Amino acid sequence: MPRRPEKNDHELWVAFLKGDQQVLSLIYLRHVNALFDYGSKISADHDLVRDCIQDTFVTIIKNRKTLSPTDNVRLYLFKAFKRKLIRELQKKTRFLPFDPEKGERFEISFLRNFDHAEFEVTQEQKERLTEAVDTLTIRQREAIYLRFIRGMNYHDISVIMDLNYQSARALIHRAIGRLRETLHGESETFSRALLFIFRCCRA
Amino acid sequence: MDKYERYTTDDFLADDSFLHWVLQPTNEEERFWKEYLEEHPSKREAIEEARFICSVFQVRQKKLSLDETYEIWDGVLQSSGQLRSSRWISVLKYAAVFLLLFISGAVAYYIYDSRAQQTHFELATETGTTGTEAKIILSDGSEISLEKKESQINYNRAGDQLIVNDDTIRQDQLSGNEAINKVIIPYGKKSVIRLSDGTMVWLNAGSQLIYPSVFLRDKREVVLIGEAYFDVTENQSKPFIVRTSSLAVTVLGTKFDVSAYPEDQFVDAILESGSVSLEVTGKSFLNRNKKILLKPNQKGSLNRQDGMMNLSEVDVSQYISWKDGMLKVEREDLIRVLKKVERYYNIHIELRDPLAGGFLISGKLDLKQNPEEVLNVIQLTVPIDWAKKSNGDFIIVKK
Repeated sequence: MPRRPEKNDHELWVAFLKGDQQVLSLIYLRHVNALFDYGSKISADHDLVRDCIQDTFVTIIKNRKTLSPTDNVRLYLFKAFKRKLIRELQKKTRFLPFDPEKGERFEISFLRNFDHAEFEVTQEQKERLTEAVDTLTIRQREAIYLRFIRGMNYHDISVIMDLNYQSARALIHRAIGRLRETLHGESETFSRALLFIFRCCRA
Repeated sequence: MDKYERYTTDDFLADDSFLHWVLQPTNEEERFWKEYLEEHPSKREAIEEARFICSVFQVRQKKLSLDETYEIWDGVLQSSGQLRSSRWISVLKYAAVFLLLFISGAVAYYIYDSRAQQTHFELATETGTTGTEAKIILSDGSEISLEKKESQINYNRAGDQLIVNDDTIRQDQLSGNEAINKVIIPYGKKSVIRLSDGTMVWLNAGSQLIYPSVFLRDKREVVLIGEAYFDVTENQSKPFIVRTSSLAVTVLGTKFDVSAYPEDQFVDAILESGSVSLEVTGKSFLNRNKKILLKPNQKGSLNRQDGMMNLSEVDVSQYISWKDGMLKVEREDLIRVLKKVERYYNIHIELRDPLAGGFLISGKLDLKQNPEEVLNVIQLTVPIDWAKKSNGDFIIVKK
């Protein structure tokens, strides 16, 4: 089965920088839902998230001549979009002291609507997992999101979150550690049971 | 060399290629990890725990509807001054203050709407119908070429697996994902697609269909360029909508044909059974929100130039015979018949004598034969002669 990637982001980006305006809509289509989902975790204001996506692409068109080639278009989009969204959120709370670290929210309702097709968990198991996820910090959640939902590598995560590579790695490592601790700590049988269910369903 | 030999659960979770396999497995990765697990049973526990932890994070993602997707992009083009019409709207806004209150409002509305349509269309045609390769483009941008002249595409109910001819392809492991897929069929080929809801779509030559791999919204929306015959699975709570550049066809469960080739002046919808409603989108504001209900054996024909809709009783078999490799015509202009033959075989037919285009033809053409045979059959009914040029084009002259 011949299955080859369509023109990749990098090629499209180069074509866009050379003046082919059309190809930007392909880049847009490819990333818009990921940006929207990511934005929705940071702010519940969907109109604002939509506006920021729009602004991100408007800025790209306006600054086309001064943009540099990048081989990581997704990273560029996420970074630019996040910057805009955070700035807008800061504007909204202008009269309140805004601490970007604290003011930033990162809501992942991981297990609340846990409906993964591959295996089932009971209500009680679900609650324990939810509690475990709730113990994660906002930064940990964001890192986990970028890693395990967007599938990004540590370099990209560190750039988006303004961290160095080691810190990004450590952040995720600690988050996973905490999660596993909660799972194992609660009861050995519980985690075994989960794994057992998991294995049965995968078999 | 086994780099995974000393890997713990954490190490697997920190490994990019492992993560890629869990999130977006390619066939190659599936094969690699299956073999790896068989050869290294001691790694099973760590790998499965890592997979489990990943799966804990996989939840339904927020997605934009097709309409929202277009709206945002529309806003991008407008804000960056790529659309002339946006400037017109602001000019009209001021004009309205003086004397043209009602009309300017109407005109602005009209421009706005036609622009939305334009975007719709632009997004849909991006990769072009001009190519000669039939292919399906998945949401991640990868392409699968459809080599057969008549290919079959089958989605499972969850929409995460599709069978193309005889090969199985997995896509989008994330649950709840409404991944947009696109099938492009050039002239000379056709395809049958079974969508995740069971709806069957016969896609004619020179057409594109854009659809989500699974319908998660309250509407089942697809975008069509060209011609397709739909046998829609009934679902009262989720209407099925076929959007074309100027007409939206809404159905609950029925069989019908839509023909909307960009180069044709008319967009046709032909109903075989059930009921569908037609809605003119854009073009003329007078027609907006005007819904027309089509009854079986009726054809709704929208003239794209003046936005007028014409209803007529027709013999449906004429319009849908293409899906069985037949072309059935009843008192149809030679020029329109030749156009269909051209599309079907992806050939170019030049009519040397324009008057000959007006000859009326009735009968059945078997399109499973080669184009020469088809022209011979046409020749039996109307006084024409044909020749094949060295470049493969055909010439038709009046006898």
